[in-house]
Amino acid sequence: MSAQLKVMVIDDEPIVGKRLGPALEKMGCQTETFVDPAAALGRLAECEFDVVVTDVRMDEVDGIGVLERVKALSKRTKVIMITGYATLEVAHEALAKGAFDFIAKPFKPEDLRQAVARAAEALGIQGPGAAASQA
Amino acid sequence: MPDDKQPAEPERGQAATVEGRYERIKAAEAARQALLTRPRFSFRTQIFLGFFLAFLFSFGIATSMVITIYLVENKMKFLEIASEYVTEIQQARRFEKNYFLYGTNLQDALEQVYLAKTILEKNSDELLRVAGDKRDSMIIPHLQRYEELLKRLAALESEPDSPRLNQKKKEIEMEVRQHGQEMVSFAQDVMTKEKESMARMVARSRNIHVLSFAVASIFMVYIAYFLGSSLLGTVNRFQGYAQRIAAGDFTPITPIRRFRDEFTELAITINQMLQELEAHEATLVQSHKMRAVGTLTAGVAHELNNPLNNITLTAHALLEDYREMNDDDRREMLGDLVNEAGRAQSIIKNLLDFARESGAQVEPLDLVALLKDTTHLAANQIKLSGIKMEFSATDNLPRVHGDAQQLQQVFLNLILNAMDASPKGGKIQVLVVPADEPNFVAVKIIDFGSGIPEHILGSIFDPFFTTKTKGKGTGLGLSVSQGIVAKHGGRIMVSSREGQGSTFSVVLPITTLPARIGGNMPRSGALS
Repeated sequence: MSAQLKVMVIDDEPIVGKRLGPALEKMGCQTETFVDPAAALGRLAECEFDVVVTDVRMDEVDGIGVLERVKALSKRTKVIMITGYATLEVAHEALAKGAFDFIAKPFKPEDLRQAVARAAEALGIQGPGAAASQA
Repeated sequence: MPDDKQPAEPERGQAATVEGRYERIKAAEAARQALLTRPRFSFRTQIFLGFFLAFLFSFGIATSMVITIYLVENKMKFLEIASEYVTEIQQARRFEKNYFLYGTNLQDALEQVYLAKTILEKNSDELLRVAGDKRDSMIIPHLQRYEELLKRLAALESEPDSPRLNQKKKEIEMEVRQHGQEMVSFAQDVMTKEKESMARMVARSRNIHVLSFAVASIFMVYIAYFLGSSLLGTVNRFQGYAQRIAAGDFTPITPIRRFRDEFTELAITINQMLQELEAHEATLVQSHKMRAVGTLTAGVAHELNNPLNNITLTAHALLEDYREMNDDDRREMLGDLVNEAGRAQSIIKNLLDFARESGAQVEPLDLVALLKDTTHLAANQIKLSGIKMEFSATDNLPRVHGDAQQLQQVFLNLILNAMDASPKGGKIQVLVVPADEPNFVAVKIIDFGSGIPEHILGSIFDPFFTTKTKGKGTGLGLSVSQGIVAKHGGRIMVSSREGQGSTFSVVLPITTLPARIGGNMPRSGALS
């Protein structure tokens, strides 16, 4: 169980969490979804996640804020940014601050699964399939 | 429901545009016709006519003066002849008296009569001219009779022994005295009359000249006043037109006077220019709007990508797990698809409604609703910039009369300006409140940014004035906005403190003042 990939999804669009949760669980991840970034940050303080998927533009705390907080709490956590409108500036900033990947909306569930798989590999966890077999 | 409505609206908008343009062209053409159909009476003709009349008048005065001088000259000449003649005959009479008293000087008297006759003969023509038939009927017969009588006396003298000499002499003496008397008194009488007539003529001529001078002065003053005032009046009128046009009222100039003149051509040219200006202004407003649309693109793209992403994710989830799902899950997902598609549609519609070129459609507007739409349009862009927007409005505000699209453009422009002026994490306040003056509503857009330095505050509404870097601003936003608001009978005011932020207030008249707004709105009843 401990080897199961822990993924957090933050997006103020409820449908994103509703769809990505099951999609990631299908590949063996343990997923928590949040609509409110502030609540998500609270949860992050309680528990370390392997991968955080966050929308860039949100009202209270934006994706960059989430990224900074995650990196401050846990260096090893991989952050995947998703955004509806990627400007070069934001992309640069995100990568400079240690974002693992950058996905533009609209994307397919498979795109995210591949990104998460790459993140797991980078973390040294054997692919999602391996994680599932370990469980 | 949106499916039924959407295709109908753009068509209506375009139809209104075409109709609006047609109306304006028709109004301009009607003004042109009205200007041209009046009879032509140009200023050139008026000036020419004035000078011609003045010339005729002076010519008349000069002619009458020449004639008077000629007549006076004649009278003087006549008086000269008459006085010479009178001198001669008076001398003759003196000799005649001597003869009758002392028996001497008869030959001298005859000689004087000859002299008098010579004077008459020498000046016969002139005498005829000045004295008319009096020469032959009175003057000459008298003289001839006198001469004849004197000759008879001389004949009597040559034969002194003739019988009844003294008696005959006495008879002739009577007649001679009588004729001599008559001759002199008649000549003196004529002279007196001529003198009087000449004095009258001179006096009359003087009166005529004084009167003509007075009349000529009045006439000249009138012509100067008439030409001057009609010229200056027209120039002033055109100055009024220029001010009106500068204020953004492009109503064609219509004829005011009954005649056509040089200014008519100017009016026609100005009307043509107005049409061009209007077309240019429409283009300017539209291109500026497209710039605003361009600025909104980032926000719209982000806003649009969210529902698109939701649709993609949901559709893929359906594809992948269709079989494992129960009916309720499938139904929920299909519902999400429909909702998100609708959301995408309304985002696009919102932007297109704003971007679409439309004719001026003036209608009573709920400013609060309009501002809500506008802030919604800009909301994403503002969120992207990390700025908060607060909106508050007084309840139950009266409606204003105006063009929703154009006013929305103004408010959007001010909101985007406020956004540019605000620092990241800043705040923009949008207020819709009653204005300080009655019957006006104010929309205040407040930012807490850098503020506008006092020395440029006066020029921010000038065309092409911009503080933004090259390529970021055209400098036309506030100028175009002010033009639009002025057309609505309102104005934009600004107060700013460096380092503390700026407040832009758009003040618009409410609909209870239809006459005033109608007067200020162009394109509504150009010819009335």
